[in-house]
Amino acid sequence: MDPNVQLLLYVIPTLIGFLFVLPFSSFLSKPFEERFPSLSNERGRLFFGLILTTLAGFAVSIQTLWISSKVSEGGNFCASSSVFSCDDVIGNAQYNTDPIFGLPWGGVGAVTFCILLYLVYSTSKEPNAEWVDSHLKFGTLITFGGFFIIALLVYYEFQMEKICQYCTTAHVANVAAFIGFFRLMRLNESEDWNQQ
Amino acid sequence: MKHTYDDFADMRTKAALRVMSLFFVGMIIIAATTSPIATGTKEGERAPPLEGKFYNGSGWSTFDSESYWDSNWQEGDISGQWLVVEFMDTDCPYCVRSAEDVSQNFEDFSGGNPQWDGAIVNFVASVTELDIQGHESSRSEIMAFRDKTANSGEDCAGSECGSRPGNAHGFPYIDDLDQDNMKEWKVGGTPSYYLIQPDGIIAWSSSQHPGEDLRDAILGLVPRAMNEGGA
Repeated sequence: MDPNVQLLLYVIPTLIGFLFVLPFSSFLSKPFEERFPSLSNERGRLFFGLILTTLAGFAVSIQTLWISSKVSEGGNFCASSSVFSCDDVIGNAQYNTDPIFGLPWGGVGAVTFCILLYLVYSTSKEPNAEWVDSHLKFGTLITFGGFFIIALLVYYEFQMEKICQYCTTAHVANVAAFIGFFRLMRLNESEDWNQQ
Repeated sequence: MKHTYDDFADMRTKAALRVMSLFFVGMIIIAATTSPIATGTKEGERAPPLEGKFYNGSGWSTFDSESYWDSNWQEGDISGQWLVVEFMDTDCPYCVRSAEDVSQNFEDFSGGNPQWDGAIVNFVASVTELDIQGHESSRSEIMAFRDKTANSGEDCAGSECGSRPGNAHGFPYIDDLDQDNMKEWKVGGTPSYYLIQPDGIIAWSSSQHPGEDLRDAILGLVPRAMNEGGA
């Protein structure tokens, strides 16, 4: 499958998830509310959007980890002479691991999105548990920290004069997750948390 | 009525198990479909990039080590070009003495010797400035050392650079006076040699074979016409 077509498998759920975590997402869920009643309230829409986003973020991170393994073998996946060349970015040994532990960025993303998925999934299943507040704050904190990582990785891309489409999708997923966690945290602090 | 659920169950455990399962499925897929090669400077690892400006006899340009690699190269393929990377310091006495051996190896294996029936071996020198008193270097010293320029006024390990042993070197000299490449490659001392396969994998490193000659490594590892397909 063409790498850019394959990328759509991650982009589409990320964007749908992104739309669902935004305010005024109710117009999107209207046609589905009868079949999926949880989408009829703000909390349900935020959970849905967040789960979809973190799942897509996890999947695209696993894919970037796979690409970095393939490139290290000497193979090609999405090499291109244009500015969009994820092989050049993910395969660049100078920038493709985190500077502290030396872990591939794809692995860092996969672990992070797994933690986020755990936080939002457990919260969605038991929304009135006493630990929900700390889960949502922790999720907001992690995704906020993600902005610094994104800034560093975008700086690397500027240095290389190349853009990695797969990495950008993971970055967008982090932005969407931050909005989702932040809005859920605020909702949890309000009386609307248990509205039907 | 029979209880079919656990009153004390916590969704956090269930969620953790499910998410961890998903993570491990992802990892298993990667492990089953790829064989990653680590980037490093030990034999069998992928050589890290060499960076900096290089001098090729006419001027200084940006060096791109990636241009040397051929990802489609297969073991035994004689058409692929190998690469020798030498880490050296123009003020290191042993590097100066070794210049003659390097000249000889370059002339014998880099395509100019009709008696050599093996794959072409390219050479690159990454020139550093060791943190030792008296090892102050410069680009003009690098040029004088490489070109063996007579009466350049540059001093290499206590004698005039143009008087070093061996012929002028016809291969690129990278300016690594800031030691960036040396640190990236974790080079312990100079001179250090690496013999790299055409696909960018390190085949031999002098630090892993103390006492073994670079020439012996080239003769032992680089495929030759008579060995093609048989190695």
